[in-house]
Amino acid sequence: MHVTSLQLQQFRNIPELDLSCPEDLHLFVGANAQGKTNLLESLYMISLGKSHRARSLQECIRFGEQTAMIRTRTEARSKKNRLELKLLPKGRKIKKNGLEVAKLSQYIGTLPVVLFAPEDLQLVKGGPQVRRKFLDVEIGQISPAYVHHLTQLKNLLKERNQLLKNLSKNNTFPLTFLDVLDEQLIELSVSIWRKRIESLARLQEWAEEIHLSITKGEERLRIEYIPSVPIHAQMSEQDMKHVMLKSLEKVRKKEIILGNTLLGPHRDDFSLQQNKLDYHTFGSQGQQRTAALSLKLAELQLVKEAKGNFPVLLLDDVLSELDDSRKTHLLESIRGRVQTFVTATGLDGIDLQTQKQAVVYHVKNGHVTRA
Amino acid sequence: MYLPEPIVNLIDGFQRLPGIGAKTAQRLAFTILKMDDEDVADFAQALIQVKRDLKICTVCQNISDQDICDICQDKSRDTSIICVIQETKDLIAMERTREFNGLYHVLGGAISPIEGIGPEQLKIPSLLERLSDEKVKELILATNPNMEGEATAMYLSRLVKPFGIKVTRIAHGLPVGGDLEYADEVTLTKALEGRREV
Repeated sequence: MHVTSLQLQQFRNIPELDLSCPEDLHLFVGANAQGKTNLLESLYMISLGKSHRARSLQECIRFGEQTAMIRTRTEARSKKNRLELKLLPKGRKIKKNGLEVAKLSQYIGTLPVVLFAPEDLQLVKGGPQVRRKFLDVEIGQISPAYVHHLTQLKNLLKERNQLLKNLSKNNTFPLTFLDVLDEQLIELSVSIWRKRIESLARLQEWAEEIHLSITKGEERLRIEYIPSVPIHAQMSEQDMKHVMLKSLEKVRKKEIILGNTLLGPHRDDFSLQQNKLDYHTFGSQGQQRTAALSLKLAELQLVKEAKGNFPVLLLDDVLSELDDSRKTHLLESIRGRVQTFVTATGLDGIDLQTQKQAVVYHVKNGHVTRA
Repeated sequence: MYLPEPIVNLIDGFQRLPGIGAKTAQRLAFTILKMDDEDVADFAQALIQVKRDLKICTVCQNISDQDICDICQDKSRDTSIICVIQETKDLIAMERTREFNGLYHVLGGAISPIEGIGPEQLKIPSLLERLSDEKVKELILATNPNMEGEATAMYLSRLVKPFGIKVTRIAHGLPVGGDLEYADEVTLTKALEGRREV
């Protein structure tokens, strides 16, 4: 997958940009707060319809302006697409080849991207919500049905939590309706678990191999799904449903008191470990960073496996954080295969071979110029 | 811009309708101004009548100009089947098929705690009444195939179980006459789940 051009209008601090970028490696260099990350953010946004860091889409509209625009042309093998995302004072509009996209689940995956940023260390260090988001974004790019199920789960949880709150206030809602929502929750949970467990198993295979290679055979990375309900990969769907039903019965009183849904995929987690030791607790900063890198590189492979093409890789200020051997491994594994957009504060620490292959740009105050 | 009060009132009135913005409302109001007096009077009369004379059928909750609607009074219809739908619009859609010869029950919406709509706000008690009184053999649940509609259908099926009546849910999946290749993945997955032996 290649992004062959990128156009921006009034996006963050970038008033106007028209970039032709069919090459494999692009390197954006500039001091802090000049707009390097904004460039990567725009690619992430047109891929997934949302930002990896902004709380609201409207944050991304340039100060004092009403709307912003991102346009790209993409190419995978011989298939070309024109994508457009317009940010409006309320909401957004996405167009694919000139036609408006009504459902996000129908769109996500058109331009798969993988973003690696310093905050990805949180994948190992941070809380479960970071890892859930990683899984959801990653699986969502290869399965439209998964995106649909997640949206349904989100809506169901809203209804169910409201119902629990009503029940705690002795509202007139019948308890039978909670049984109905439980049935829907169980149904959705099982389909989401199936997909997550299946994808994690594939991810594990790739990550283990990559991790062994980066650590020169010293560390064997294991990924384990930690569900909020005692289910496991070998269970049949019927058994999973039964276990979830029993678990929900047990926590029902507590749920009504708290007015919150305590069990389900929205409460799950996964752990990264070696020799049964969790990197989250026992890993050094360097080990944690390597585990995060392995996971991200495995994600590249997983998307390739599912879609037939490598996704576009966005590396936000991570080269400076990696030591030489990891950096070499990273650059080796993408060279000539994965289109990559890199940001860095300077060229020091980037080897000459990479510099020679890359198209280098200087970013200053929202303006991008080719070096 | 200055406009006399009567026309401003008319524009405001039109703007309350769904899908009508300021510009369209203005265009509609000026069209009325150009219409024959008689046509305008008929139109105004129709507006008043629809609110004054229209009733809700006491049996199926459909709109009607009598206490009991034409469908419920029709002797040729099969009274052993009741089809439950959310809105009157859905009834009209079902009638267009000309395939269904049973009776209807209009719920008036779907259950949604977020919207503050519980079973009490819907016409569920009157449905249960009908099930115990009449000789109903089958209940078809034709609420919308979205989450709220699905939940409402599941709730009703639980509620009706003690009556010992056959309860069915309309199928969902691929549209008829469409091509498989144009179906979206989610619909196709649903259709696969609902496959049947032939």
